Amino acid sequence: MLQWLKKRWIYLVAAILLIIIPFDWFLGKYNTLLIFIGLNTMVTVGLCLLMGYTGQVSLGQAAYYGIGAYFSAILSKTYGVDPWIAMLIAAIITGTFAYSIGYLIFRLKGNYLAMATLGIGIIVWILFRQLSQFTGGPDGMSGIPYLSIGGFVFDTPFKRYYLVWFFTLAILLISQNIIRSRTGRALRAIHGSEDAAESIGINVAQFKVKIFVLSAVFASLAGSLFVHHLRFVSPQQFNFLASVKLVVMAVIGGLASIWGAIFGAATTNILSDELLLNFGELDIIVYGLILMLVMIFMPQGLFVKLKETITIWRARTAKKD
Amino acid sequence: MSEFILQTKDLSKAFGGLVALKNLDMSIEEGKITAVIGPNGAGKTTLFNLIAGVYSATSGEILFKGTRINSVPPHKRASLGIARTFQHALLFGNMTVLENIMAGQHIRSRYGILEAALCLPNAKREESLILLKATKYLNLVGLGTEKDKEALSLPLGRQKLLAIARAMATEPKILLLDEPGAGLTTLEKRALSDLIHRIIDMGITVLLVEHDMPLVMGLAEKVIVLDSGQKIAEGGASQIQRDKRVIAVYLGEEVEE
Repeated sequence: MLQWLKKRWIYLVAAILLIIIPFDWFLGKYNTLLIFIGLNTMVTVGLCLLMGYTGQVSLGQAAYYGIGAYFSAILSKTYGVDPWIAMLIAAIITGTFAYSIGYLIFRLKGNYLAMATLGIGIIVWILFRQLSQFTGGPDGMSGIPYLSIGGFVFDTPFKRYYLVWFFTLAILLISQNIIRSRTGRALRAIHGSEDAAESIGINVAQFKVKIFVLSAVFASLAGSLFVHHLRFVSPQQFNFLASVKLVVMAVIGGLASIWGAIFGAATTNILSDELLLNFGELDIIVYGLILMLVMIFMPQGLFVKLKETITIWRARTAKKD
Repeated sequence: MSEFILQTKDLSKAFGGLVALKNLDMSIEEGKITAVIGPNGAGKTTLFNLIAGVYSATSGEILFKGTRINSVPPHKRASLGIARTFQHALLFGNMTVLENIMAGQHIRSRYGILEAALCLPNAKREESLILLKATKYLNLVGLGTEKDKEALSLPLGRQKLLAIARAMATEPKILLLDEPGAGLTTLEKRALSDLIHRIIDMGITVLLVEHDMPLVMGLAEKVIVLDSGQKIAEGGASQIQRDKRVIAVYLGEEVEE
């Protein structure tokens, strides 16, 4: 038992922290921020699987976040569908959409793929604005119901914190399991060399589409939780800048690092909610700068770099002892 | 059933106006080492890419165990039992040595993304089997002590061995080796020929493209010589070495008619 504790203490500490964080006497006043960190982590993890592990760029990930959000909003508010069922339907629709898109665009590579995903992201954003009879146009929709289980309604940020982080952790664990599996090796093989991957029998095209669909479904789930949290949705939340921010999160966390996604999402959210408020529209310059600096000086990501630095530092101090 | 594991019939490949391979008839006997040699641009790699399915043939047929495989997509040829290596090792640089070989087991395992995501028992069972088999191929090429290193941190010679182990992990019937000896030291070449003999002993047919004549002559039971996309000679190693046309191609001498 003691041995077990010694090895796993970090998980225990993390679990306790995660549970006590939303209480008022701790970080309770930041619950909304923490919820957004969780939501963005869900989307970022999908992006890590797609970009970091499989090597396929997506500059339009906010579109799938948005499709999930809008379908949840429209189904649950306009058509009175149960929010959980709306969430499921939204995920299925987003997945199907991603499948048909992916089937077409993964014939492209590198910059062309980036352009295509970017284009689709913008088209979807325009649809959110223009299909105003369903989406409420540029003004968006409000008054979306809360999620509830039985009679228990997730009507305070405190409750929703647990809801969102339950999903976030589930997605993190699922992604980690996938990366360590046969599928994960196939994805990394595609990133390593597509020719070699084909030569050992990996259906490259199919795996690219599969992981794209998975990342879109993660984003869709996050989008559904998003609208049932804010009870409001508008196109601005899913524009090009939102997609760029998601890429920034993935890059800061380390593209090929599942748990780095939390770090990336947290850094970016704190930055935009607390520090960049006065920058207005200019904040995209700051994100661009961060993206460039991280890519140039620590292409493996800030989180991975920090981890490495700590390991080296610990090894050094251990030597001195 | 033919005794030939792999045959090409009247196989041609043209890139626009350039004919890279012309009317090639070739039969590879099961369980033997066959070498394809020829000067640069003779069509050796084109032939490999046709067999592996990277290119599709302009005309002619490729038969694997008597069945036409022209239209089988490349990733499915591996499950038929055709494995290959590349001139450059083309390892997966983002994985360890062992993981590279485990990736080679892809088509010999089943479990999918859902089983993996939920860590279901059959995923664990298959995973331990994959690990077991991968370790077998790791030891076959003698990289046991380096299994946790990053694949690209290995020196070139060992990278090429790893590429062979990865191809072997697909459990092929025929192994295509594209210039396995290129860039290796004499000592490494000796280890390579030992390895190829061990692979033959496992009942696997080997077809190799190679520039290194001593290596080819020491290994191959049959040699096929290509020049400018056409077969100019075929036969045992010693027979080929005496063939006037082959000598002409390699040394640039005029052939006396």
